[in-house]
Formats: sequence, structure tokens, C-alpha cells
Amino acid sequence: MSIKTLILRSLKKNLTNYYLYVFALVFSSALYFSFVTLRYDSSMNKVQASVKGEAGFSAASILLLVIVSVFLLYANQLFMKRRSKEIGLYQLVGMTKFKVFRLLSIESMLIYFGSLTIGVILGFFSSRLIVMLLFKITNVQAVATLHFSPEALLQTLLVFLVIFVLMLLVNYFFMKRQSILSLFRVVSTTEASVKKQSVLELIIGIAGLCLIILGYYLSSRLFSTDTVATNALLGMMVAILASVIIGTYFFYKGSISFLFNLIRKKKNGFLSVQSVLSLSTLMFRMKANSFLLTVITTISALAIGLLSLSYISYYSAEKASEQFVPNDFTFSHKKDLASYEKTLSDHGIPFEEHRIKVLSVPADLSDVSDRPLIFASSNSKYTPISVISTKSINEPPLKKNEMYLTGANDSFLRLTNFKESGTITFKLKKESLKRTFTELKHHYVVSIKYSNGSLPVAVVDHATFQLLEKEGKPTQSIYNGLDIKDNTKLEAANDYFIHQFKPVASNNLSPRVASRIEDVKQQRGMIGLAMFIVGFLGLTFLITSGCILYFKQMGESEEEQPNYTVLRKLGFTRDDLLKGIMFKQLFNFGIPLFLGLSHSYFAVKSGWFFFGVSLWTPTLIVMGIYTMLYSIFAILSTLYYKKIINDSL
Amino acid sequence: MFILEAKNIRKSYGSKLNKQEVIKGLDLQLEAGEFVSIMGASGSGKTTLLNVLSSIDSINSGTIMIEGKEVSAMKEKQLAQFRKHHLGFIFQEYHLLDTLTVKENIMLPLTVTKVPRNEAEARFKSMTEELGIYELKDKYPNEISGGQKQRTSAARAFIHNPSMIFADEPTGALDSKSASDLLQKLTDLNRSRQTTIAMVTHDPVAASYCSRVIFIKDGQLYTQLYKGTQTQQAFFQDVMKTQAVLGGVPNEY
Ligand SMILES: Nc1ncnc2c1ncn2[C@@H]1O[C@H](COP(=O)(O)OP(=O)(O)OP(=O)(O)O)[C@@H](O)[C@H]1O
Ligand SMILES: [Mg+2]
Repeated sequence: MSIKTLILRSLKKNLTNYYLYVFALVFSSALYFSFVTLRYDSSMNKVQASVKGEAGFSAASILLLVIVSVFLLYANQLFMKRRSKEIGLYQLVGMTKFKVFRLLSIESMLIYFGSLTIGVILGFFSSRLIVMLLFKITNVQAVATLHFSPEALLQTLLVFLVIFVLMLLVNYFFMKRQSILSLFRVVSTTEASVKKQSVLELIIGIAGLCLIILGYYLSSRLFSTDTVATNALLGMMVAILASVIIGTYFFYKGSISFLFNLIRKKKNGFLSVQSVLSLSTLMFRMKANSFLLTVITTISALAIGLLSLSYISYYSAEKASEQFVPNDFTFSHKKDLASYEKTLSDHGIPFEEHRIKVLSVPADLSDVSDRPLIFASSNSKYTPISVISTKSINEPPLKKNEMYLTGANDSFLRLTNFKESGTITFKLKKESLKRTFTELKHHYVVSIKYSNGSLPVAVVDHATFQLLEKEGKPTQSIYNGLDIKDNTKLEAANDYFIHQFKPVASNNLSPRVASRIEDVKQQRGMIGLAMFIVGFLGLTFLITSGCILYFKQMGESEEEQPNYTVLRKLGFTRDDLLKGIMFKQLFNFGIPLFLGLSHSYFAVKSGWFFFGVSLWTPTLIVMGIYTMLYSIFAILSTLYYKKIINDSL
Repeated sequence: MFILEAKNIRKSYGSKLNKQEVIKGLDLQLEAGEFVSIMGASGSGKTTLLNVLSSIDSINSGTIMIEGKEVSAMKEKQLAQFRKHHLGFIFQEYHLLDTLTVKENIMLPLTVTKVPRNEAEARFKSMTEELGIYELKDKYPNEISGGQKQRTSAARAFIHNPSMIFADEPTGALDSKSASDLLQKLTDLNRSRQTTIAMVTHDPVAASYCSRVIFIKDGQLYTQLYKGTQTQQAFFQDVMKTQAVLGGVPNEY
């Protein structure tokens, strides 16, 4: 047989077996190419001009490259191991090592560059789609036009060429190291052999579970104990990461087999065929693959966590904007307000003005928070707090000696352990004034810029307000807000606003005037780009790790085929076996997924309040999508097993 | 009453163009409680015969009845069901699952029956004690010897009290001491439980443990020998002679 027919033959065989590998290759090259195209394209300036995403983009493209190359190298290694018998066979029939190497190289070159070509073509077309998506999430109004970029093509080709050369090198050394005999044995030595459980394993197993729980526990206290006050935050974070990651590793190394062994012991030899196919093999497999699984779990957790956080911010943009712009528009200067009001009147748009006088009164807050350190100035017992009158916001008068607080955000409340009710003592020039509050509202009445730090604003009845103003001689300022009465006219009002204030509104650090619509847009744009990049990376990671698990399952199923033969001879039906396999896949994909979800849940939960105001909806959406995409690989694996089972008798 | 009755069975492999007929119209009857061995030259179709008799493989024509049921007409699911409950298997390469302990391997056929736990436990104990492997129950297959594996596989074949056991060269991978041990055990079990055993073997010594030896040639029944009241030694000589006539490779002792 000539080398050409050999290549063609094994190519044909491998293409049917490795369609997923080809898919992954096409996918990752398409992704990379479109990402680079995006970077080089001029239409990106529209996004970046407002957001400065260049740094993010280049960091992301490097990360993308790392993920893709690790994946390709790893997959290549898996295939070499799987094909070691074939390689040994070629050598056995008298081919030289170099000739076999050449054979394999030509074959993989055909697959690799074939997929790359398809990937680049797909990447070019999909980049337009991606740009459209990016424009949509970042609120850029522009038509997505993309030009073919030779630089992007060159960069993609170069990068993938380097990866290919690396692959060849790895293959070369793999073959050089191996004797023919060891090539025949490779498969069996890679998986840990079946052994009895040792005491050490038991200890590792228990330690793994404990470490994970410890990490979770620490994470729940990360921002709520004295850590914040004592600057132990960084140390604590490192401790959490370490204990969770090591715990995960131990979990795969020992806990799984420990738990499964407990179940097995309980069954006392009476294992149904379902548990034979799931429990008994999984406990050995997971142990053998514990490192890989740890990496996959950790990065999944990272991806889900980051995606959730960025989606939380994106999702909360509107709410977050309320803190800075509580009304439709705000104005620092009265003359801006007046001129805008004139514009509105000229165009017949009804509006409502909110002018609120804000006092800054020193107050003793020791009763409402046990951690005043965070907001109090160090040398004084008194912290300035903003005070407004019920009258200025058109609310009915309060009972004497009572007040309420409003405008509290979650991160502030958690950091300071702020109480829901309590007493605040205002310091006047001569005496002091005690007021109790029974309510802590989240709603913002004046912009957060008018309160001290993130402290809520005290709302007192008008008599108290006047007293404070008169006796305390506090610093005062006036908040100017404006609401459009008719929501359908808001859009138009906003257009006039932009038109009128374009020169002054551009300074977004301390804007003289602000529009809520514009503020939300801006926030969305900023977070949207971050979310887009994280999503891009997360998706790549999801697909590559799913592929790796699938490839592992391919190998496993072939290794276990003799077992299926036995079981079918003994009279177990295909359906019996398939049920067992489904169970196995449930664990096989489910455990890393579940651990990843649970890790990321605790990570998100420990600090989400810095990112937004809503935890559940965005997190659940992200987790749901991740789980769905991930399950596709479990289903594909099960289908592969089905084929193997059918062929086993 | 025959426990197994095969009439005019035919089996061929390969495609329409390149057909190879392995079993060519073979008739066979086994009586309940018999211990029969099947001999023949390599490639004569012994394994194939055993596979079709035990419903692991299908036949092209003819009928096979086991316990009065026509196995050859059953659908795949029914067959599996039938195998699970009524047949036991011992294979040359043991066919134990390497991720299961000895006990779990043996108990496997019982998990689909309605045998209560303590009854199963008792059966397991008596069976493994009879075969001398009770102490090994918590070991994995890769921790025990070939003979012990084969006994484990025998225990698995017997545990659910099947009406028939099929064994394909069960002693092929064993030394003569372990082989005769196992054969003695099989004979004992055959007597004590009245289980019918059909065993393929190349070894005349193994065949001499049986009550009847069937010789296969060219896909057909060539001849058969009954032990009757002979001693094992005399029966062994008979088998040797027939095998020499048949043209198989005679064992030199
Ligand atoms: N699955 C198969 N596909 C095609 N041909 C087969 C298959 N199994 C067996 N054969 C052919 O059928 C014939 C009989 O094979 P079988 O395995 O039954 O022989 P055997 O008597 O068991 O031999 P041995 O003593 O070597 O085990 C052989 O010629 C073999 O090539
Ligand atoms: Mg055979």
C-alpha cells in the first residue's frame, strides 16, 4: 500500500471519528479570526472611542490564544495516545519512525489547515454578526460594516502555524521516546489501575470536602466580618481561592471514590447494571483525571462567575444609574435648569421640577453601624450626614422625633453592617438632637453626589429641618432634578437636552448636567464591552472544555467496550446499558458542572453587590445558558456510547 | 424431555458475494442435567455453535428450542431477558468486569431477579465456598490469579440457578492443575444442581469429565461418544482416538 492511500484511508476514518475535533478547530479559528478582524477594523473605533476597550481587547485576544492553543495541544496529545497502537503497528510492519511521523504529519496537516481555511471563511462572515451583537449590547448606533483585513488574516495564520509547529514537535518527541512495545501499552498505563481504597485516599477525600466547605464559608464572610476593617481582605481572598482549588482537586482525587465507595459498601455486592456502568467506573476514572477536572472546574467557575458579574452590572445599569441621576435629568447649576426648562416650555413638554435643599449635618452614627471606621473621619466621633426635609419632596409630615433614611445601596449596607432602624444624634452648635429612624429605603431622592460617601440621606420633618438649619449652621447645597411628566415625550426631551448641553455634558467625571437615558447608555456601553469580551472567552472555554471531556469519553467508551460485550452476552439489553451510560454522563459532566456552578455561585454571592443591584435573575440566566450549552456535549457523548454499545455484540 | 433441541440449524458469515457457511444443517439434542462437551478442529465452528445455541448470535435457518421455548424466533429484547434469567456463561477470557469486586461480579446476574437479599447472600456464600473463593470476595479481578478468575466466572454462571450453562474453553488459559480443579467443581455443580452444561474444549482431558462428547466437522455433527459406565481414563482414551481420526491436533501426554 502506498503512503498516499494509507493517508487517505486513515484520514477518512479519522474524520468520522473526530468530527468534533474538526468542529472545535473550525470554531476556534473562526473565533480567533473574527476577534482579530474586529480588533483591526475601523468600525470598532465607534465602540472604543466611548469606552477605551483597546486594552481589554488585546488582553482578551492573548487569553483566547492561550485557551485555544492549550486545547489544541491537549487534544492532539489525546489523539496521539489513542492512536499509539496504530503507530506501533505501522512500525511493526517495517515503516521507519520517521516515515510514520511523516504520515501522521501530512494527515494532521490536511485536517488542520483544511479546518483552518473553513474557520477563517466562517470567521469572516460571523465577525459581522458579532459586530452587530457588540453594537447592540454597547448601544452604539451604527451599521455593522466590516472589511476584510489582511493583517488579521496574517496574524491568524501565523498564530495557528506556530501552534501547528508546536504540535508537530510534541508528536515528534512522543514518537521518539516510545519503543514499539510501549506504544502498544500506552493506553493502559495512562489510566490509573483499579485498586483498593487506601486510608490516605479516605483522608484526602474528607479533606477535600472540608476544604471546599471552608472556602465557601470564608467567602460568605469575606465582606461581612472584620476583614474589611483590618485590611485582611487580600489574604482572605487568597485563602479562599487556595482552599477551594485544592479542595476541588482532593475532591476528584479522593472524595468521589470515597463517596461512591460508601454507596457501594452499602449495596454489599448487589450492584445493578446501572451502577456498574456509572459508579464503579467513575470512581476510578475521576481519580485518574483529577488534575484535568480541577482545571476545567476552576476555569468554568471563573467563566461563569465573571459572566454573571458582568451580566449583573449590565442588568443593573438602570438601577445603578438611579443613584447618580435619580430624576430624568439633573443639573448642578440653577441656570442650566432654568434654560432647559425654557426649552421644554417652548416645545410644549410638561415637566416637574425637584429642587431639594440638602444640609450636611455632623451626626453620631455609632448606634446604627458597628463599623463606623469605614465612613467616619478618624479623629471625630461625628460624621457628616445629608439631611433633607419631607416638605421639599412633597411628603406628609412625620411624627416628632422620627425620621427615615433613604438611598441605601447594598454594597454600602453590607460593608458597614448598617442597621434597619436605630437612633442618630445630630450635633448642633450648642446642644444635640436625637432622632430615631424605623425605615431604611433603597430609593434615591437626591443624587449620591449629594450624600456623604455612600451614606443614605436622612429625611426629617420640616420643623426639625428648620431647627438643624438654624442652630447647626451646616453647609448646604441644592439638588436640581427634573422629571418629564409624559413618558412618551421623554425621548424628544432627551434629544433637546443633548442638543443644548453637548459641550458641557461631555465631561463625564463630574458632569454639570446629566440625563438618565444617556447615563444608562454609557454604563451599558462600558459594561457591555466587558461582558462581550468575557462572553467571548467564556464561550471559547466552554466549547473547548466540553470537547476535551467528549474526547475523553470517546476513549473511555472504547476501552470499556469489552465490558459491554460481556454484559450483553449475559443478557443485559442495550437499553439497560444505555441507561447506565446516561447515569454515568450525568455524573461525568454533571459533577464538574455542578462544582463549577457552585464555586461561581459562592464567588458571585460574596461580592456581587459591588456590581449591581440584582443577584438572582442575571446569575440564573448565565448559569442556565452555560448548563444548556454544556449539556450538548453530554448528549453527544451519550450518542457516541450508544454507537459503541450497539457495536459491542 | 430435551432441555435443548436444535433442528437443522445453519449459520453463515460474510456478505452475499463472499459467503462462508460455518454451520451446515446441524441437529443437536441435550438432555436435562447432561454435561456435554463439544470438540472439533480449530475453525470448525465450535464457538459459533455455542454462540447460536446460547442466543448470543443469530442463526440463518433452523430452530432452536430451550426448555420448550423457541429461542430462534424471539426478538432481541426477549432473548436478552431469556439469557439473563435462564442461561449462564463461562468464557475463555473470563470476561469479568475489572472495576467490580469478585463479589459484585458474581452477584451481577442476581440483581435482575427477584431473589431476596438474604437469600442471595446465602447463595453467594455457599457457591463461593464450594468453589473456594469466598475469601477473595472483596478483591478486584486484577488482584487474583487466572484460575481464581475462572472460578469467579463459574460462580457468576451458576449463581442465579440457570437451567443451562454454556462454557467456551473454560480451561483454555489454565494450567492442568487449576483446569482439573475447575472441571471437578463443574462436575460437582452439575450433579448437585442438575444444571445442564455445554462446554467447548480442545482438551481431551477436559472432555473426559463429561457424560457425552460431540465432535463437529465441516459444520456438521461428525460423531458422538457416551461415557456410560467407563472410567474417566478409558473415556479419555476413546476421545483421544476419535480426535486423532478427526484430524485435530492430538495432545501429547
Ligand atoms: N464474526 C465472524 N465473522 C466472520 N467469520 C467468522 C466470525 N466468527 C467466526 N468466523 C469464521 O467461522 C469459522 C468458525 O469459527 P469459530 O470461532 O466458530 O471456530 P472454533 O471452532 O471456535 O475455532 P477455535 O477452536 O480456534 O476457537 C472460522 O472459519 C471463522 O473464520
Ligand atoms: Mg473458539
